[in-house]
Amino acid sequence: MLTISSVSKSYGSLTALSDVSLNISAGEFVGLLGPNGAGKSTLMGLISGLKTPDAGSITLNGVSANGGDHQARHELGLVPQNIALYDDLTAQENLEVFGALFGLNRKTLRERIDEGLDAVGLVDRRRDLVKSFSGGMKRRLNIIAALLHQPKILLCDEPTAGVDPQSRNAIFELLEHRNRQGLTVVYSTHYMEEATRLCSRIAIIDHGKILADGTLAELLAKLPAAEQLRLPDNPAVARALPELRSLGIVASHESGHTLAIAPTTQLSAVFRVLEKHNVPSTTRSLTRPGLEEVFLHLTGKAFRE
Amino acid sequence: MFTVLTLLRKDVRLFLRNKVAVGLTFIVPLVLVYILGHVFGVNRSSTGPNGVTIAVVSETNAPIAAAIRDAMQQETAFRVVTTWKNADGVESRLTAERTRELIRDNQLRFGVIFPADMMSPKRFGLRLIFLNNPRNEIETQTVTGLLQKVIFTSAPQALMQNLRDQAVSHIGASETDSFYNRLSETIADFFDFETERVRANLDAGTLDFTDPAEIDPNANPAMVAPDSFIESIVSIENEQLAGANVKSPAATRVVGGWAIMFLLFSVSGASTALFEEKKAGIFHRLLASPVSRAHILWSKYLFNMLLGLVQLTVLFMAGQFMFGIEVVPHLPSLLVVALAASIACTAFGMLLSAIAPNPAAASGLATFLILTMSAIGGAWFPVSFMPEFIQSISKLTLVYWSMEGFLAVLWAQKSVFEILPIIGVLLAMAAVVNVFSIWRFNRGNLFE
Repeated sequence: MLTISSVSKSYGSLTALSDVSLNISAGEFVGLLGPNGAGKSTLMGLISGLKTPDAGSITLNGVSANGGDHQARHELGLVPQNIALYDDLTAQENLEVFGALFGLNRKTLRERIDEGLDAVGLVDRRRDLVKSFSGGMKRRLNIIAALLHQPKILLCDEPTAGVDPQSRNAIFELLEHRNRQGLTVVYSTHYMEEATRLCSRIAIIDHGKILADGTLAELLAKLPAAEQLRLPDNPAVARALPELRSLGIVASHESGHTLAIAPTTQLSAVFRVLEKHNVPSTTRSLTRPGLEEVFLHLTGKAFRE
Repeated sequence: MFTVLTLLRKDVRLFLRNKVAVGLTFIVPLVLVYILGHVFGVNRSSTGPNGVTIAVVSETNAPIAAAIRDAMQQETAFRVVTTWKNADGVESRLTAERTRELIRDNQLRFGVIFPADMMSPKRFGLRLIFLNNPRNEIETQTVTGLLQKVIFTSAPQALMQNLRDQAVSHIGASETDSFYNRLSETIADFFDFETERVRANLDAGTLDFTDPAEIDPNANPAMVAPDSFIESIVSIENEQLAGANVKSPAATRVVGGWAIMFLLFSVSGASTALFEEKKAGIFHRLLASPVSRAHILWSKYLFNMLLGLVQLTVLFMAGQFMFGIEVVPHLPSLLVVALAASIACTAFGMLLSAIAPNPAAASGLATFLILTMSAIGGAWFPVSFMPEFIQSISKLTLVYWSMEGFLAVLWAQKSVFEILPIIGVLLAMAAVVNVFSIWRFNRGNLFE
C-alpha cells in the first residue's frame, strides 16, 4: 500500500533521513519508534506530501505522495503533532471545515461528524469552542478531523503528546477499532509502551535511519538474551561479576548492572554463582527484555525520550 | 544587588537579540522624527511648503505683473510655472482656461492670473485672480498666506514705481520730480518726518515712511495699518475650482487618509493569522488534504480584501452620518476606489507575511511601514511640506494613491471613468507587490 524507497532528506548540513526504505501493507498498524530528533516527523511529512525528498520515492497505492495528486490526498489522513484546530471555532465547525475540504456533501459530512464525535465522547461538547477543551479533548478531536473523509491510511504523528491517561486510552481504543475495520495506521511515537500495545509492526528509527523493522517478537529475537537479571552495585555483586560474564553479557550503569543471560545458559547456573558470592535474592530482579533493550542493543545507548 | 544585575544583564541580552524590539525602539522613531522634522522645518530656517507648483498666467504687459511674478519666483515655497507639457509632449504657454482645466484635474492646485485689466484707468489698484483647488486645507491656507505676503510686499512698490513711470511719460521728468519734491515736503511737514527720507521712499515705491515704533496710533490709518491700505489697492479674487460644492469640506479632506491608515493596520493584523495557523500546525493538516499553498494564500487574500472593502465602506458611511460627508451620491465610484485600495493594502499585508520571519517581526515591520507610509503619503500632513525627495517617494506609497482616489471621488466628484488612472496605479502596485510576495512565499519557510 505504502512504499518508501531509499528516501533521504537533509536540512542544510543536517541529515534528517538517510536512505530509508519501508513497505507498509493494507491493514497494518506500523509504529515508527524513535527518540526526539530521530527523523519520525520528517518521514511523516514526506509521506503526507508536505515535504519533498532529496532522493528516493514514496508511493501510495502506486501514486507518488509528493506529486500533489489529489487522489493520494483523499486516501491519506494526517494527525499532526500539533493540535491543528481553530481554537475560536466550535468542535463541529472545525470538523465541518476540514471535512468540506475533502468535498464531502452536507449530509455525509453531518453523519461522519456525528459518528466521529460519538466515537471520542465529544457529542455533548460539539457546540463548544475548542479553546474551552482540555488538552486530551483537543487531541481526540484532532484525530477525528483526520478521519472524516475515511482515509485508507492514517498517519499519526505523536498523537498522544501531553494527554491524560483517560484520553490516551480513548485514543488507543479508537485507533485499534478503526484498524480492526481495515484502516492502515502509521503511528509515530517515542513512547515504547504505546508502540508495544498498539503496533503490529515496529520500525525503530534513530539519526535518520531505520535500524530495525518487524513485529515485537521479531525485534526481541534480535537480542542476545531472552531474559535479563538486574543487580545492584554492591561488593557482593562486584565479586560475582567475573563469573557472571561467562554466562552472558554484563552492562554496568549508574544504578547497578544488567546481565543479559545467554540463550545457552541455564538460569540455575546463574543463581548458583550469585549464591556462591552471597548476593541477597531480595536485591536482584529477573525481567524479560523489551523495546528499550532492543534499542540499547541496536544503538549501544539508552533510549532518549 | 548581584541578583538585580544578573536579571538586568539577562534583559539587555534578550532585548538585543530581539531585532524587532531594537528596530521599534530606535529605527522607527528616528525615521519618523526625520520626516516630522522636515515637515515642521526644525532643521531649516524656513518652514512650510517646499516647491509647491503654482501656475502664473499673465494676460497683461504691465511691468507690475512681471514684478510680482519675479517676486514669486524668489519665494522658495513656490515653483512658478508659466508653461505646461501637454499629453503629446509639446510644451506650451499656459492660458487662464488651460490652467483652470489643470487645476480641476488636480494636475495643478494653485494658479495666479494677471488679467488684462489688472490695472485699469477706472480704478486705483491692482486686480489678480487666485485659482485654487483647496483639497488640502493646511496647504491651501499656507500657500494663500505666502502668496499674499509676496504680493503685498512687491505690489505696492511696483505700483508706485509704475505710477511714477506713467507720470514721467505724461508730464515729463522734471515736472514729476518737482511734484515728488512737493509731495515729500508736504508729507514730511504733516507727519513730522524727514523730507529726504520721504522722497527716497517715494522713489523706491515704499509707502512705509517711518519705523513702526514711531507711528502714532491716532494718525492716518493708511500709514498705521499698511496691510489695510495694501488690501484696498490689491484686489485678489479667489476662484475655487474644485470642491466648492462639497458640503463638509474639512471632513471630506481628511477621511481618506484616516481610513487608509486604519485599513492598513487591520489588514496587517489579519495577515499575521498566517503565522498563527502555521504555529498551530494547521497548514500541515490543510496541505495534507486536497489543498495547495495557492488555495491558502488566495483565501487569505480574498478575506483581507473583503474585510478591507467592508471596513472602508463602514468608515465612509459613518463619515456621512457623523460628519455629513457626501458618500451615498458617489457610492459606486467610492466602492471602486475602496476595492482597489483594499487590494493594494492586502498585497501589503501579504508582503509582511512573506518577508517577516515571525509574527512579532511582521507586527513591528507593519508599524514601521504604516506610520512611514502615512507620514510621507500625506495622511497626516501635506506632501508639499516635505523635502522634494520625500515628495517623490510619497508617490510610491499606496497611502498617497488611495488618498488621491478618495479625494478624486469625494472632493473633485469625478466619475468612475475619470478615476481609472488612479485605480490603475493602485492595481499595478498590488500586482508588483504580489509577484514579489509569491516569490518570497515560495522561497520562505511559512509552509514548512
